Amino acid sequence: MADQALDLNVAASAGRFVTPALRQRLESIALGTATIALLLVVWQLLPHVLPMQQGTRLFFTVPSRIFATLWQMFATGTIWAPLGVSATAFAIGLALAIAAGLPLGILLGRSATLNAMFDPFVTAFNATPRLVFLPLVMLWLGIGLWSKVAIVFSGALFPLLINTHEGVRNADKLLINVVRSFGASGWDVARLVVIPNSLPFIVVGLRLAIGRAILGVVVAEFFGAQDGLGVVMVRAASSFNVDVVFAGLIVFAALSLVMTGLVKIIEDRMGRWRPQRAGGE
Amino acid sequence: MAVENLAVQPSPGASFVSRHRSALLGALAVALFFAAWQAIFLIVPLNPLFFTTPSLIAAGYVDLIESGDLLHDLAVSAVPFGLGLLAAVIVGVPLGILMGWRVRVGYALDPLMTVFYASPLVALAPLLVIFFGVGVSGKTIIVFTLAVFPFIFNVAAGVRAVDRLLINVVRSLGGRERDIYLKILFPSVLPYIVAGARIAVGRALIAVLVGEFFAASEGIGYAISRFGDIFAIDRMFACILTVMVIAVVLTEGIRRAERAAFPWRASQ
Repeated sequence: MADQALDLNVAASAGRFVTPALRQRLESIALGTATIALLLVVWQLLPHVLPMQQGTRLFFTVPSRIFATLWQMFATGTIWAPLGVSATAFAIGLALAIAAGLPLGILLGRSATLNAMFDPFVTAFNATPRLVFLPLVMLWLGIGLWSKVAIVFSGALFPLLINTHEGVRNADKLLINVVRSFGASGWDVARLVVIPNSLPFIVVGLRLAIGRAILGVVVAEFFGAQDGLGVVMVRAASSFNVDVVFAGLIVFAALSLVMTGLVKIIEDRMGRWRPQRAGGE
Repeated sequence: MAVENLAVQPSPGASFVSRHRSALLGALAVALFFAAWQAIFLIVPLNPLFFTTPSLIAAGYVDLIESGDLLHDLAVSAVPFGLGLLAAVIVGVPLGILMGWRVRVGYALDPLMTVFYASPLVALAPLLVIFFGVGVSGKTIIVFTLAVFPFIFNVAAGVRAVDRLLINVVRSLGGRERDIYLKILFPSVLPYIVAGARIAVGRALIAVLVGEFFAASEGIGYAISRFGDIFAIDRMFACILTVMVIAVVLTEGIRRAERAAFPWRASQ
């Protein structure tokens, strides 16, 4: 209470422009930025403070060198070819996962029998890290694009399938009965009630699927590929080119943050009026 | 997926079949799947270099268990898995409590941790392997790196959801800061720790596999990639199925424990 009173005083003296809520927001932004900046500065200064052996120096890098490397990769254009390869696998795998996950999720959501039959498989595959299948997939599909697509697909499929299923099952029974009473067909029920109701769930599934798909690209390229950004990173790591590994990580992280952030915006828009949120991981 | 439909709760007097309808259907589907898998190679010629049958996998299992290889590899993988998760709990839970309880600590650390949590940290695995080697320490650190963030975020969310009334009561009765931590915050975040553990276990499995695929001389991940390299598909499948069973037992076990211990959170 005392804090709040103080906040009000400050707001009053600042000409009523800085409300407590705004002040809190500014503080959170400032503190968050400061921590990241502090971490970068400490990291940058570490080699000057800490005496390091020749061997350790080989593995060590500082933020300025990482950003210089990243800048150079973009400036000289060397990043585009491997990034394109990775993005292709990501896009094909995710598209296939959406194409398979949504219909399957709707089907399992509508039929209790099918759901009971598929449940053991969905539970088992969802709990298992798909990485475990990579050696097998490589054996079947070879080293290259399709192994990566298979891993991305299997990673992204289940969040989409499970969330679609939950959304369909959560459709209001009363609404369905009302629409039916007015003589709607099965397709009308789906179009008018089930699909609009499950859309927010599907969007949550999409957000999780994007994260899983990027993870899939990274691990698949580490072990079963000849080109792609992940391959560039592994080669750099084994030749002690630490800057490139971190630069690659930054690119992957940025892509992941931007894409999930965009989906999150859609999600918040759709979910604004909804008291209950769709499920997480 | 595993959420039971509460609306269709059959009466206790119903027959065994109708009471366990979905479990029976599931078991039937799994049995059908394996039967079909076995049967299809009665018609199609089997190329043992690329595919295998359930009976061959079973034979491979017997092999692996009799030689003790499977148990040995599992034991080798279990050590970094357990140590990494333990370290993740030890670091993640206090940090999460601090971030949730101290508003300014939350402001300061949230963006940084979000960046870490959202980025595919597994991409650091090649570096970590080079830094710390391919032994227990390297794998443990990869496990820790991937598993710590679910704990931090779940625990912080748990603290933020704590009933303010409880805190005011403890304060009114003369409780100190320490009492708030021990008597309110820790007990009320327990369900969130368990929920975090469910996510962390999955990530820890990925971490162990990544570490062992990279460079290792033993462990279940190494066994899978080695059997793949020598086209021993039956034993490779046996190892893959073992990992699947372990993953299901761990995540479903935690889910069951959650439901039994914290039934008010069962809807999550």
